Amino acid sequence: MRKMNRRALSVLLLASFIVLGLVGYVGRYLADGERWATYFSRLNSLSEGIVTDRYGVLLAAFTANDNHFNDDRSTRIANYHVTGDFWDRTGSGILTSFSGELHGYNPVTGMTQSRHISMKLNVDAEINKKAYAALADRKGAVGVVNYRTGELLCMVSSPAVDPTENEPDAAEGAYINRLLSASFTPGSIFKLVTAASAIECVKSIWQKSFFCEGEAEVAGVKITCPYEHYTQDFAGALAVSCNIAFSQIAISVGQTEMINHVRRWGFLDSHDLDGIRTAPGNYPLEFVGDPETGWSGIGQSTDLVCPFSMLRFVSAIANDGIICEPKLIDDGQPPVKSVLVEPETAKTMQRLMRNNVTTTYGDIRFPGLTVCGKTGTAEVGDGTSHAWFTGFLLDEEHPYAFVVFVENGGGGLSVATPIANTVLQALVRRGTDMEY
Amino acid sequence: MQGEFYSYTMAASKVILILLAFAILMRCLRSMLREEYDPEVWAYLRYGQDRLPVEHWEVIIGRSRDADVYIPERELSREHAILRRTDRGDWKIYDVFGRGGVWINNTFIAESGSPVVDGDTLNLNSIYVKFQDLGMEKREKLEAKRSGVGSRYSPSLTLLMLTAFQLFLLLQHSFSAAPEHLADIALGFCSLIVMEWSCYNAMRIINRSGFEIETVAFFLSSLGMSVAASSTPSDLYKQMLLTLAGVVLFLISGWWQRSLQRTASARIPVAAAALLMLAVNVVASDVLLGARNWLEIGGFSFQPSELVKVAYVYVGASTLDRLFRRGNLYVFIGFSAINVMALALIGDFGTALVFFICFLVISFMRSGSIATVMLAVTGAVLAGFLAVSARPYIARRFSTWGHVWEDIYDKGFQQTRAMSAAAAGGLFGKGAGNGWLKNIFAANTDLVFGMICEEQGLIIAILMVLAILLLASFAIRSARSSRSAYYAIASCAAMSMLLVQVGLNVFGSMDILPFTGVTFPFVSRGGSSLLSCWMMMAFLKSADTRREASFAVRPGETIRSVRDWQQSAEARRERRAEKKQARKAGKKQGKPSSGEKAAETRRKPEVAEKHETRIITEPREKTDGGKKSEIRVTLQIRTPRGKGAGKK
Repeated sequence: MRKMNRRALSVLLLASFIVLGLVGYVGRYLADGERWATYFSRLNSLSEGIVTDRYGVLLAAFTANDNHFNDDRSTRIANYHVTGDFWDRTGSGILTSFSGELHGYNPVTGMTQSRHISMKLNVDAEINKKAYAALADRKGAVGVVNYRTGELLCMVSSPAVDPTENEPDAAEGAYINRLLSASFTPGSIFKLVTAASAIECVKSIWQKSFFCEGEAEVAGVKITCPYEHYTQDFAGALAVSCNIAFSQIAISVGQTEMINHVRRWGFLDSHDLDGIRTAPGNYPLEFVGDPETGWSGIGQSTDLVCPFSMLRFVSAIANDGIICEPKLIDDGQPPVKSVLVEPETAKTMQRLMRNNVTTTYGDIRFPGLTVCGKTGTAEVGDGTSHAWFTGFLLDEEHPYAFVVFVENGGGGLSVATPIANTVLQALVRRGTDMEY
Repeated sequence: MQGEFYSYTMAASKVILILLAFAILMRCLRSMLREEYDPEVWAYLRYGQDRLPVEHWEVIIGRSRDADVYIPERELSREHAILRRTDRGDWKIYDVFGRGGVWINNTFIAESGSPVVDGDTLNLNSIYVKFQDLGMEKREKLEAKRSGVGSRYSPSLTLLMLTAFQLFLLLQHSFSAAPEHLADIALGFCSLIVMEWSCYNAMRIINRSGFEIETVAFFLSSLGMSVAASSTPSDLYKQMLLTLAGVVLFLISGWWQRSLQRTASARIPVAAAALLMLAVNVVASDVLLGARNWLEIGGFSFQPSELVKVAYVYVGASTLDRLFRRGNLYVFIGFSAINVMALALIGDFGTALVFFICFLVISFMRSGSIATVMLAVTGAVLAGFLAVSARPYIARRFSTWGHVWEDIYDKGFQQTRAMSAAAAGGLFGKGAGNGWLKNIFAANTDLVFGMICEEQGLIIAILMVLAILLLASFAIRSARSSRSAYYAIASCAAMSMLLVQVGLNVFGSMDILPFTGVTFPFVSRGGSSLLSCWMMMAFLKSADTRREASFAVRPGETIRSVRDWQQSAEARRERRAEKKQARKAGKKQGKPSSGEKAAETRRKPEVAEKHETRIITEPREKTDGGKKSEIRVTLQIRTPRGKGAGKK
């Protein structure tokens, strides 16, 4: 029988599997319980919730057995990436990211308590609708943030779907929030990063002049410019977005310093927008040599930038280097502030970006606005290019920083700036008689 | 109902339920596992100066440290001989075909074992051991010294807690249930309370004090009653009747297993019945629920495979003397293969897996060989591959495993709902009857873990799983002290089945394992499952040899009681024979059959023989006396953990 005693331990092996499984289950419960609970249980939830925009416009609401969205279909679609849907098709929407909070979930009590929750967002549903219309079914994103307060006023990603319809054949990528959840080749808007790095690292940058004949050999590799810019100084090179000049500038900054700045300014990190994680970017981190450093300095090479990271960067520049972390939800708390860019650098960048508009793009494109910005046309290798435009308004009444991105959209100046203008005009006139 | 009184009562009852459940299980655990109990002693083997206790009905004598009677002498084989006690109280010795063989009083023993009586000298390859059967008085004295059950953790207090647990469940239901079902639900819980207390009192009357297994089973049954009350309150009487039937079957099969001979003799009929049931199932059953494992009998849908589980454990367990004969294992392997294949044919892969893992446990406990187990696993994996490549739809059934959230409207339908509801319950649950998962198909069977999580909370659900683990630990612990290898194997095999069921049920519905649709013991609704679970508990009871603990174990029989039993059996047999003769006489006008006569004549000399041997033993003992003193004495007696019987 002593033998039996030993052999009976095989049952203990089975029992230990059960214990192991239970531990695993509890782990998964703690990690994913919120997602599980709110997925179906919200239909049986005791709680009621409502999500509105900054002016109280209803975006989404649910009661114990019902849920609904804004009555206007185009408003629903334009705000799809803000709200998400009740099927969790997009991971970054409020309904998915905050389903636990909205349904009063916590791991201890589950969803056993009834709550009434209302959530006010900083976005402006009407502006989102305008921005979505301006994108005109092209793939792209628009983000606008108040750089003094961090309020995220506009968050649009196109294409989007109607959150009340569960259509199987939605447009490709309709569930990806291009402002937060993806990174793209930045192209020339990355010259802002290179320029700011150069201001901090290359003392003689203001004395340098650059010569461009449309193409040049930089560090043994041929780099081309769409135009011949001839002799130009630093500010001029940024205004005309001269590739040759900026690849030389990046090389003179050096790869190590470039990496330091890219990292410090948050381009490589995943950021936290009220709990929603954004996509990290990319920059060549291993030693690549001068030619590749040159390419990466003009936003090509393996550079990838999440539009949201760029929005953070320009809003810090606009706010004299201090970042007010963007907030999607209006929780009444003061903005979280920190120094992202050296104030001196930021102020210099403001001048340079203003110079871009006055000398190259033309204020005529933005009637009545004082725009500082930088366009980008990022070649993606298949003959198309991403159109970018990022910047801010130099206007105490309307302190808005923005990023506009159109995937495979064409030239930044021709495609992206009109969208930015439409959105900014609407924002500036919002609440005045001129619009309503 | 949503008033303040309701919310406070509800919150309080949730906490009280958890505390009660915890206390009940804790008390059972302490009494079952933490207490040390002295082993039974049936006889002694005298080797030189040492007196080696025989603590079971089956012991291995040998040089191996695993041997129950451990004699470290080179002359012996590791397992040299098996000493075995029959129901009647007489002893037999079997040779394990070790070196040198076994002699009793210098006679070589028969292959089918030879009887040993008090005072015999066993010659184990020239190691001389004297067998000393305990007299009636000595055994009674030893029995009186053994610590009993329930002295520290009174079973009645535990049962009182369980009653409170059930009443609080009933209270929660009274808030949520529809008024027309209230009476039924109250009746259901009250019937449980009546059943457990009458069971307990019956045990008290026959002087049995171990009630932990029943308490745990009734604890799980009350959760089962709660599930039934939430999901199908209109036919709660079925649950009630089935629990009653289960308890009755539990008592009957426990009583049946008191006699090892009776148990062993019924194995072939039970095996045949099991195969027949499966055959009927395969051939004639309806295609229901994807697996054809249901039969509809008189309004009760009936799952033969559940009863086959009990039969399988019954047939699979074996006494120690048979373990050393290979042939027996092969027959069992064949029987298992038929079972598993029949279940696979029916399409019930969950149950097939339950059988297969139980097979592994039984064959490991029988053979002790990991190689055999590995061989079986390899064989099964190969067979599985063959099956999957021949019938790809089998693989498709498991394709959603780990991806249930990607297919929430079809293959992942049940699991995702179960997970969602389970998480919504939090730690404390929504309260009995307040969930929504009960409306989902199979919520009260395959998804029952989710349902308990939702309504009673994660803590109770975990305690529910721990309750099964507690029973399993008790089976493991009992293996050390059970009288026969049969009881040890049967209780471990039964618990391994329940453990696999728990694993497949809980982790299948929570997408940690593939979803196979297996019931949770006692808690899932389902008649045949409930019956089989209660019968499984009988195996556990029959392995519990704590003093006067289990009704399924005869009290420590004294020689006298055995004689009484023998005499009464003899008298019964005679009476039966007389009756038969009388009947036949009625038919054929008094012609006694020759068979009857022969049987009687055969039996009588046997008894006479026994008396003769008794007489002869006396002088023999004296002649052996001289030899004994020459034997070198280097014995280490391994006393069982805790206080040995000798020290007290």
